Amino acid sequence: MNAHQGIGRVTEDELHAYVDGQLDGSRRLAVERWLAEDPDAARRADDYRAQAMLLHEMFDTVLREPPSDTVQELSDKLKGRIAFNDNRPAWHARPLVRFAAAVMLVVAGAAGGWMGRGAEQQAVAPVAQQRQTLATFAQEATQAHRFYTSDERFQVELGADNQDELNGWLSKRVGRDVFGPDLGRVGYRLIGGRSLPTDMGAGAQYMYANDANKRITLFVGAPQSGNQSSFSFTQNGDVATFYWVEGQLAYALAGRLSKEELLEIAKAVYQDVKAGPPRREPPPDQQQQQQQPQPQQQEQPAGVQPISDTHKPKES
Amino acid sequence: MSKFGVDLEVHIASLRRYARALMRNSADAEDLVQEALTRAVARADSFQAGTNLRAWLFTILHNVHVNQVRSKAARPQEVDVDDVESKLVTPARQEERVELREMMRAVDELPEEQRKVLLLVALEGLKYDEVADMLGVPIGTVMSRLSRAREAVRAKLANEGGVTLRRVK
Repeated sequence: MNAHQGIGRVTEDELHAYVDGQLDGSRRLAVERWLAEDPDAARRADDYRAQAMLLHEMFDTVLREPPSDTVQELSDKLKGRIAFNDNRPAWHARPLVRFAAAVMLVVAGAAGGWMGRGAEQQAVAPVAQQRQTLATFAQEATQAHRFYTSDERFQVELGADNQDELNGWLSKRVGRDVFGPDLGRVGYRLIGGRSLPTDMGAGAQYMYANDANKRITLFVGAPQSGNQSSFSFTQNGDVATFYWVEGQLAYALAGRLSKEELLEIAKAVYQDVKAGPPRREPPPDQQQQQQQPQPQQQEQPAGVQPISDTHKPKES
Repeated sequence: MSKFGVDLEVHIASLRRYARALMRNSADAEDLVQEALTRAVARADSFQAGTNLRAWLFTILHNVHVNQVRSKAARPQEVDVDDVESKLVTPARQEERVELREMMRAVDELPEEQRKVLLLVALEGLKYDEVADMLGVPIGTVMSRLSRAREAVRAKLANEGGVTLRRVK
């Protein structure tokens, strides 16, 4: 246990705070160094994360069950009773809002939030911070993938029949130009998308299916700071996720596929995103800006996952 | 849409999930939430605008639960394990279900004070100081309960050699 001496002693409490996303930026780096040197500690952190993931798998079903009439009534009454309540009375009756709220809860519970991080944390350790927020983003994407592929009724908010409409609507929600890339050449077709509310109102999930009805999702978000990053990979249970930042957007591609299969699709996403949106008047200058060489993704396609949030069955 | 409305909706979903994890029975869990919300409505005036709504709601729920446990102390509680397990998320594969079942068992075997802290932190994402306030214990106590809970669960899952073997097949 003395492996982490000399970089500032890391306490037991800090290991938990690290796992729970409750550690500030500067200490986070110290913990990461310790974990890099101490495989036992790294394994503990992985196991703790796996426990949280299992808890979510066990109990997130509750979020899909409608509350009893009495509980719903009381919720409405409480909204009315609390002084600064200013919401319109009927919004909660809309099922999409309900499910969007539930997803927000799932992801907030999982990792302590991605987009609403404190500004001073970024000032302390911007690189570590971006790595962390990206890892959290990937976790959110994975959760959203699980959630929206679990029940056929809630797969998409808006279908892909009219892609311009879908892309326009999601761009408006995210506040940046987003579109669902064409993945036809890797055998997947766009079936639709949804927006996922966060504190910053940003986040779009595109869903694709192949001929065998296998589903993958592409989660696109607008991070506060968008430094380019190479592909990173994380595996949570049976869901594999590749994530990266390109231009002003962060991407996370999730699916129940092998790492190799998913990587092929991630490359297709990457290339299509760089090629620009389909069937829309291309804003050429904007795209040119993003054509600057990005040497990273070909050399390290699998990406070294800097934060050890990967947990696999121990024997595999 | 009002942020407050969304917040409240999310917090109540969170309360319901925590209650289910705590009670392990949907009827009891819904009763607990119902009772907590009834009190919240009655005491809405005591909630100060701009303070932590989630912590306020969880604290009420916790107090209701403590009172319920106290008043039911004489009666043994019945939990139908099969009923609970059939309500698990529908995992795609058999091995996941085994893993979840072992996790469920490990969590159930925790002392209640540790179980609560683990659920509040790892499932509901509450801050340590929120948990401390809610349970009325020092933050150091929260941390040591959390640590003991995580290590106990870890040891139990690691000891279930059969589980991992079955998983690999």
